[in-house]
Amino acid sequence: MSNLALTVEHVTKSFRIHSEKTNSLKQLIAGKKRNRFEEFTALRDVSFDVREGEVFGVIGQNGSGKSTLLKCMAGILQPNEGRVQVNKRMSALLELGAGFHPELSGRDNVFLNAAILGMSRRAIAGRFDEIVDFAGLESFIDAPVKTYSTGMYVRLAFAVAINVDPQLLIIDEILAVGDVTFQQKCMEKFVDFRNEGRTIILVTHAMNSVKDMCDRAVWLKYGEVAGEGDPAELVDEYTEMMLGGRDSDRDGGTGIRRGSGEVQVERIEMFVNGGEAAVKRFRTGDSIRFRMHYTARQRTPKPIFEISIEHLGGALVTAPCTRDVGLIPQIVSGSGHVDVEFENVPLLPGTYDINTGVTDFNRQHAIDHVKSALRIDVMTGKPYESGGLVTFRPAWSIDSD
Amino acid sequence: MAHRNLLYLLSLKELRTRYKKSVLGWAWSLFNPLSQMLIFSVIFLYVFKQTPPIGDPSGLQNFPMYFLAGLLPFNFFQIAVSVSMGSVQGGAGLIKKVQFPHEHLVFSVIIAQFVTLMIELTILTVAMLLVGNNVLPWLPAALMVMVLFGLFATGLALLLSAANVFYHDVNYLWGIVSQILFYATPVIYDPATLSFKPLQIIANYGPTGSFITASHNLFYDLRIPGAGRLAQLVVLGVGTFALGAWIFDRLSPRFAEEM
Repeated sequence: MSNLALTVEHVTKSFRIHSEKTNSLKQLIAGKKRNRFEEFTALRDVSFDVREGEVFGVIGQNGSGKSTLLKCMAGILQPNEGRVQVNKRMSALLELGAGFHPELSGRDNVFLNAAILGMSRRAIAGRFDEIVDFAGLESFIDAPVKTYSTGMYVRLAFAVAINVDPQLLIIDEILAVGDVTFQQKCMEKFVDFRNEGRTIILVTHAMNSVKDMCDRAVWLKYGEVAGEGDPAELVDEYTEMMLGGRDSDRDGGTGIRRGSGEVQVERIEMFVNGGEAAVKRFRTGDSIRFRMHYTARQRTPKPIFEISIEHLGGALVTAPCTRDVGLIPQIVSGSGHVDVEFENVPLLPGTYDINTGVTDFNRQHAIDHVKSALRIDVMTGKPYESGGLVTFRPAWSIDSD
Repeated sequence: MAHRNLLYLLSLKELRTRYKKSVLGWAWSLFNPLSQMLIFSVIFLYVFKQTPPIGDPSGLQNFPMYFLAGLLPFNFFQIAVSVSMGSVQGGAGLIKKVQFPHEHLVFSVIIAQFVTLMIELTILTVAMLLVGNNVLPWLPAALMVMVLFGLFATGLALLLSAANVFYHDVNYLWGIVSQILFYATPVIYDPATLSFKPLQIIANYGPTGSFITASHNLFYDLRIPGAGRLAQLVVLGVGTFALGAWIFDRLSPRFAEEM
């Protein structure tokens, strides 16, 4: 039986939204006017436990009540009903550098900020060098922070926050700060935290970090707990719900078209695992088929059809064309369609753009190019891999010699 | 108390950042009362042709000294309360993001202003010695009165800065009220010269009037204020502080939401 680091018991939090909030005495005296407000319930009967030593994730859409919950856990907001019980020395990082004063030096701000986070002076002095070293700001520490770049500012703030030495750390989505090297340092620090048996509560949109880091998670939906338990399952469920909500407003013809236009790919459809209905998402490992519907305005000899899959981040994953396999129609006219099938697609979860193209035989002249003719989402399937765009279906083995 | 450190550092911040970016820096905290002293001395002595009050038993008759003995504590009070309101309001970013004792935003301002007051009173002491008023034996009692005045100011600052979070009118109202208080307090006049009795009572025993009269007693007249007055000051200081602290404590959990 592990001990509980934090318990949230039937927490309900609502806000009054005044149609016109002026904070004036006139309203108080006028009396009645002040009663014009709408009550908005941000959290409704939320309960869960966080065990000692675990990394606990809180996921949810914007407006799901994540931030309100975070603030209730941090003791910044008081719940209307229920309670939050914190059993460990807690530090909540809702904002980096809260309370930094621009005119004071980095050194003074380290002391002030750490004090705001509840550290004693001796503790700060003992860790000062470590903090400065962590932020990598040795030569600037006595300059006023108003002269710092944004990166320096954030690094210093994060260095202070992470060195406060809490037993329970609550972090809002601020993991992605600084450059790659600094992020690496932060990750190492979190791993250290975790290995030292401290408890971390992570409130985030970043699904990968929830999957990778958390032992358990809770999913908030419209202020209520929609699920609690294994992060991988929750994240999948969550991602699916998010995409489901988006599917309807996504259409295949949003792309940017260029080219001379003798033949045009009017639209493109995607079918998954031999299905008949056009869809816009599939899972890693599924077989997919694209159908490009074309219309030729004039008889065009030897056109080459192309398709490419591009990650939203800009990386081109694959770009085959009909000429690669020697499929070259002598002439096209009127309308028709071109099908291309991919078996057991090794794409890893993410959002991808499908671009289509028609060129002349020499592939020198662009007849029709549509960028982002279709935008598709890939969801977690088999195999699952922690990083990259594609899986090479690794087969691991470890042997001792 | 882990947050004692925060209080110390916040106070230090108040002191350090106050005159940043000004060439004369801390000297400004002296120029302001000195210029007020010049203005009011001219008005008192040459425009209205008043006779400066005579210190009893010190026998000192010097309007600028009388004026400063009242003005310096009054300025402390007036500035401490209005800066406190600004400090809590300006701390919104912090209050919404970090859990910490909000009252430290007020305490740090009071401490910083109190330090300033002590520096100013030290200079006043030197000036008093130069005009032949040996205030040294009265300084311990003066310090005690100032601490009580500090408690009074803290209580009022806690009360008003908490109320100001909910109704910003408090801030504007304070601008007017503090001006009324300035004239209801014997800074630029001697209450004995007031012929209208109610005004004299207000000047003598109104909250700020009583503290300032005690300051005059100690720095100008060179005598210990009467036991009745001292009792009044203790009640005012401790009582206001307790009331302000209680109300602030009740309201501060709702700050983050209201801001």
